[in-house]
Amino acid sequence: MHPGVTPLLRVDDVHVHFGDAKAVDGVSLEVWPGEVMALVGESGSGKTTLIRAIQGLQRLTSGTIAFDGADPLAAGRTGRQAHHDGVQMVFQDPTGALNPRQTIYDVVAEGPRIRKADGHEREMVASALSRAGLRPPERFFPLYPHEISGGQRQRVVIAGAMVMGPRLLLADEPVASLDASIRGEILALMRRLVDEEELAVVVVTHDLGLAWNIADRVAVMYLGRIVETGTTEEILRAPRHPYTRALLSVVPEAGNVERQILRGEIPDLRRIPQGCRFHPRCPLFQSGTLPPHISARCTGEDPGGVPVGLVAGAACWATGSG
Amino acid sequence: MMTEPVLSLRDLTITYHTSGGAVPAVRGVDLDIQRGGSLGLAGESGCGKSTLANSILRLLPPGTEVQGEIMLDGRDVLDLNPGGLRAVRWTSGAIVFQGALHALNPVQTVGEQIVEPMLVHGTTADEKEAKRQAIELLGRVGISPDRFHSFPHQLSGGQRQRVLIAMALACDPLLLIADEPTTALDLMVQAQVLTLLQDLKEERGLALLFITHDLSVLTSACNDLAVMYAGRIVEEGSSARVFADPAHPYTRGLASAFPVIGDMSSRMAPSGLGGDPPTPGDLPSGCPFHPRCPLATAACLPEEPGLRPVTDDRRAACILV
Amino acid sequence: MTDLARRRRKDILERMWSQFRSSPQGMLGLAILALFVAIALAAPLLADAGSLDPVTARGRGYPQWAPPGEFPLLGTDNLRRPVWAQFVWGSRISLAVGLAATVLTVVIGATIGIIAGFVGGRVEAVLMKLTEWFLVIPFLPLAIVLASILGRSVWNIIFVIGVTSWPWTARLVRSQVLTVKQRLFVDRARSLGASGPRLVSTHILPNISGLIVANATLSVPISILTETTLSFLGLGSAGAASWGKTLEDAFVNGAITRGAWWYFVPAGIGIMTVVLAFTLIGRTLEEIADPRLGGR
Repeated sequence: MHPGVTPLLRVDDVHVHFGDAKAVDGVSLEVWPGEVMALVGESGSGKTTLIRAIQGLQRLTSGTIAFDGADPLAAGRTGRQAHHDGVQMVFQDPTGALNPRQTIYDVVAEGPRIRKADGHEREMVASALSRAGLRPPERFFPLYPHEISGGQRQRVVIAGAMVMGPRLLLADEPVASLDASIRGEILALMRRLVDEEELAVVVVTHDLGLAWNIADRVAVMYLGRIVETGTTEEILRAPRHPYTRALLSVVPEAGNVERQILRGEIPDLRRIPQGCRFHPRCPLFQSGTLPPHISARCTGEDPGGVPVGLVAGAACWATGSG
Repeated sequence: MMTEPVLSLRDLTITYHTSGGAVPAVRGVDLDIQRGGSLGLAGESGCGKSTLANSILRLLPPGTEVQGEIMLDGRDVLDLNPGGLRAVRWTSGAIVFQGALHALNPVQTVGEQIVEPMLVHGTTADEKEAKRQAIELLGRVGISPDRFHSFPHQLSGGQRQRVLIAMALACDPLLLIADEPTTALDLMVQAQVLTLLQDLKEERGLALLFITHDLSVLTSACNDLAVMYAGRIVEEGSSARVFADPAHPYTRGLASAFPVIGDMSSRMAPSGLGGDPPTPGDLPSGCPFHPRCPLATAACLPEEPGLRPVTDDRRAACILV
Repeated sequence: MTDLARRRRKDILERMWSQFRSSPQGMLGLAILALFVAIALAAPLLADAGSLDPVTARGRGYPQWAPPGEFPLLGTDNLRRPVWAQFVWGSRISLAVGLAATVLTVVIGATIGIIAGFVGGRVEAVLMKLTEWFLVIPFLPLAIVLASILGRSVWNIIFVIGVTSWPWTARLVRSQVLTVKQRLFVDRARSLGASGPRLVSTHILPNISGLIVANATLSVPISILTETTLSFLGLGSAGAASWGKTLEDAFVNGAITRGAWWYFVPAGIGIMTVVLAFTLIGRTLEEIADPRLGGR
């Protein structure tokens, strides 16, 4: 897929625990320049905790996160600063992500001011705003967040991230709080930034249509683990893990797939089921059609998580590649 | 259909009076929902869909001007005195709001909150019977009876939404108004809630008015669809047809925002509408959609088009159809 | 660019001012306060400070215990001093002590509140324990002990009030900081690499400053009342004649039993109206800073 290119981001066996709750329970993944990776899962799957950890907003319990070969947590203050420049974040709720007391100009200029960047602040801000599709940028300088629309606010957040010249953009449900009509524009903007600026994006979402719209690869998270990974086409057209299959079947626009509505909700993170963590809700296991030697493994043996790299895989005793 | 509709809106016009002047939120809407029917109302924020939903049970802030006719279960809601209004709320029509956390009282158990409307409206004889029915309702929406004594914060978001649905059903209403009931929920929980609403509709002959900005949710939940833009209905018809083959350019934009997974034309090509919805207080002249419309011509400017037939059962407000 | 930002800030202040202007209670408070500030500033023009000295008053031949009818404006006291002069000069001390003690209260309270709320963890636990400790100590005995140890001077009064009344401000500020800290824009700034001081100064402070100002305005009357109380108990400054000191003198010298109401009524009304003015202004500011409090 990317022969000879080293990954931009390497997450290795990362755990983030809050007391007894294992929000992220052993995740490994690699992200290359110029690709969009969608991290798909429901709330409680640990996907947001994982990207907050990548951003450095969340302390790791164990494991390492290396950006461009360096460990941001080990590299001290200057290393962290380099990490901040290289990795930027876009938030779910653009209204909350903007300080109501700052003008759009100040919001976007904040990064360069913190970095004490050389060059003309005004030009940097103008260029970031217009790259994010807010033109002419000067019109937006004096406005406050409440004076612009929701879609424009998300563009401001993106401009505030892009002004730092990041190489990796982390996006947490970037369109979930926006109107459906605005959704396409913001996604198109993100895809364009990836294609034109060799950016890599990790986008956290519960929206499989979003993955279909912009992602190169998909990783599906369940209860702190990645249970399936592969290219977007592999995952969305031929899912192997029963959880991915169920998720896909309930997408309203999925067409004529038979709907598999899982019962209940994601279990408590403090009481992760034994064996395969999905088996109590797994339609395949619950159907009773699995051969006994496999269903015994489902309840008795943890299939682990799949590392997100070049090879597709599913953490399932019944359908995984092994 | 010959039966009298459960809900019938005629030329409904709703105006907010703010310090900045009069803001027309809903501008002349006609709607009918038959007994046991389901209508999805789609549109962006600010298009007037929530205002419309709240007006049916007269839940709008005081000082809001409502004109036209709202017939709910044969009674003119706008003419009701406070007593009649209380009777209509819950028993004829009930509403489920988005944001389940804020709609529940944090210091009352969920059981008490379901029992309360039953007792207030006298639909059950005594407290014991009400409690029995409440537990039955909780069971029906998929919540175990031992949750009767739980407080809202002890439940997950999906469970709270179910409690709200159970509450709305407490007095066995004819019409359930659901205002973005699944917006904040996860995909799987959303599917659970949609299925629940569907089952309840069939079991109880409940009519459903379902409001959301997510057109794709409506196609699976509703028979009919109405698309609202700038306070007016711009397209209406059967939901499958409208979603699959939209006639109004606005509907087309909304529908394309949700790609069909597996459809290669949308792969790596997110689409949607450009621009932002108009401010209700400052609508563009002519067709209010023309500034964002990819097909707009000079012919769209002189006057606002009304709904016109596309096929027998579909209408759209666009001069191009 | 800074021009632009400044202009926008001016707009905001203008908007707040117009909100304030539309509040009758706020404007009433402001009018009363303006009157008293004018009196305090114009004290040398309104009354002769020299007449506050009993020797001078006697030398000028002023009568003793003269009611308002017999001696112009407000009569005299047991030492022949004109009550009007005491009232005018006392307003200076009362206002100054009230304001200075409030500044001290807010500086200590806000600093501790911000540090506790922002840093969190063990620091927060220690600071909040300290705050609670100060809160549960009965205020008056502590103030009396401190005042008697430190001696009688205006500065000591200010210090005593500041040291004893900050915990309320600290608690309010901390809870506000905790709320703002949760906001997503703080996360955004953090992920841009913003340092702690920057987070506080550009993101947290601007979002809580309105409430701090409102809280400060509301604690001025408390400071004035405290000064009055301490002075009345004989712990006020020896020299300066604040309104509280006037009340004490009147009480000690038997003005009440004599029926010499003109001695203590002006100071009492002065305290009440100034306290009312600050309270009205403070409530109005609070409503502007936090619209949820108001009925609109």
